[in-house]
Amino acid sequence: MTDKKPRPLLKVENLTVRFPVKRGGLFSKKAYLYAVDDISFEVARGETLAIVGESGSGKSTAALAIARLVEAHSGSVMLGDDDFLSLKDEALRQARAQVQFIFQDPYASLNPRLRAEAVVREPLDSLGTGNPNDRQATIDELFKAVGLRPEQQRLFPHQFSGGQRQRIGVARALATRPELIICDEPVSALDVAVQAQILNLLRKLQKDFDLTYLFISHDLGVVQHMCDSVAVMYMGKIVEHADRLSLFNNPLHPYTKALLSAVPSVDKKRRLETKRILIPGDPPDPLSPPKGCRFANRCPAAQEQCTQSQPLLRHMKTGHSVACHRVSDDGVAPL
Amino acid sequence: MNTEQEQTVETARSPFSEAFEMFRQNHLAVAGLILLVLIILAGLFGPYLYVADPFDMVWAPFSPPGEEGYLLGTDYLGRDLLAMLIHGARVSILIGLSAAFLTVFIGITVGALAGFYRGITEEILMRITEFFQVLPTLLFSMVIVALFGASLPMITLAIGLVSWPSVARITRAEFLRIRELEYVTAARACGVSNAKLIFKVILPNALPPIIVQAALMVGSAILFEAGLSFLGLTDPNVVSWGQIIGSNREYILDASFTVTVPGLAIFITVLAISLVGDGLNDALNPKLRQR
Repeated sequence: MTDKKPRPLLKVENLTVRFPVKRGGLFSKKAYLYAVDDISFEVARGETLAIVGESGSGKSTAALAIARLVEAHSGSVMLGDDDFLSLKDEALRQARAQVQFIFQDPYASLNPRLRAEAVVREPLDSLGTGNPNDRQATIDELFKAVGLRPEQQRLFPHQFSGGQRQRIGVARALATRPELIICDEPVSALDVAVQAQILNLLRKLQKDFDLTYLFISHDLGVVQHMCDSVAVMYMGKIVEHADRLSLFNNPLHPYTKALLSAVPSVDKKRRLETKRILIPGDPPDPLSPPKGCRFANRCPAAQEQCTQSQPLLRHMKTGHSVACHRVSDDGVAPL
Repeated sequence: MNTEQEQTVETARSPFSEAFEMFRQNHLAVAGLILLVLIILAGLFGPYLYVADPFDMVWAPFSPPGEEGYLLGTDYLGRDLLAMLIHGARVSILIGLSAAFLTVFIGITVGALAGFYRGITEEILMRITEFFQVLPTLLFSMVIVALFGASLPMITLAIGLVSWPSVARITRAEFLRIRELEYVTAARACGVSNAKLIFKVILPNALPPIIVQAALMVGSAILFEAGLSFLGLTDPNVVSWGQIIGSNREYILDASFTVTVPGLAIFITVLAISLVGDGLNDALNPKLRQR
């Protein structure tokens, strides 16, 4: 949105994550499932990039791989000037202070045997951030920053509600003063009223602590509320990447268009205006992806060439990037 | 303000203290625990309160309980059965506890490493576990005792060596489950080292089923020791319950009390341990706790 283009904080290039899959007998060929297949993107400092996509599209795996919680097969993740993927052992452990993670399920992401204060203290102790004597003060500040009362520090996770638990998770992610926080569906396990509280908290903290977010979500409403730009993933690939306004106002890829048309609206006029695009069927078998476009078998605009060759991510003049044969060079959508 | 803070602190109960509360409400388990404590106290302090050498021949053999002031009668050599029972409690419980400790120690180590590191480590450790699991337990422990002598440490070792696989399997299963949970991933994202992940993050959460298993293990170790002593594989210089049964087994028809009394002692002890184990199982099972 700003005119000057700052250097990106996070630059992901050709990231690929694959999992070996055992199938059949002892001597069968080893098969690999490419959960994330050659994706690249950048996030500027202080901005929020959302990765959206359906279940199994590889968005969470991509997030975990960037945080080095899942081993990437190839590619690079530049964090400022350092390649985060090539770090080893102690250097990696230290660098983790820069990249923190907020998890999807607040009921599973807090160790049930630790008091809330111990949960928040964990990264401080293990990464040795700050003076040990100041840690209690840091914890007090963090609790205040995420809107929890100081006396709640002594409680155990099961004594909190879902929203409060997620606040503890946010405090833990903030503890080491990271530059990048990866939010893996941070609100999808919460009910709507609490979702709004947590999202507003995240936005406020972004301003206060000068944070950069990588925001994983399947909820386009949430994404619209939170993000500066959006990348849409389908079967391990980025199919469209644009800033928020142009993506929501002018989606180019048929898949994005279908996704947006599925967002329910309370506005009756708008509901009648938007034509619901249905995508029939299921995604193809990820173990043997089709040779052409991966969306071709479900795409209402698919043509001969779509099943023949894989579309590459093309950059449009408008700043839009899209991987679709049917989108013309001057950015006219097929649907 | 002050009272409000006290209230919050008072309600800040750890999962273990909640489990304790559950346990306390289970009357059978509490009865078992009281019984167990009484038996342990009898083993610890009995020899000082009832001063008598269990190896002394004090009266005619096979005198029935109550005769001549010998509360439980005398055995085939005319030894005081009560004194033997009290001294035997020490040995039986000591073996039960130390064998269970050894079992849990080996089991947790093997299971934790296998479940945490997966891959080739898991393959090797689990094949070893299976090897020990398919050995005929009584035969294997008899061989150990026969080879290395029937001393208490050897008997403990023999029992420990044959019973650890079940603990290893439970530990591995819990580690496999817990290592995939988000709070473990979260701890890794915070830079927690592998050793700390194993012992400080995963193990405390894997403990409940292991504790239950360990409690039951004490009971089965006592039974196992009784079985070995019955077969004569025991240190002849110490009295244990199984040994009393073993040495009197030929007279079971003429003086059944010489076998019944130590048999009942074993039965009551193992029952008490099972009740406690069951109570722990209920108390530590989070699904039951969410009423």
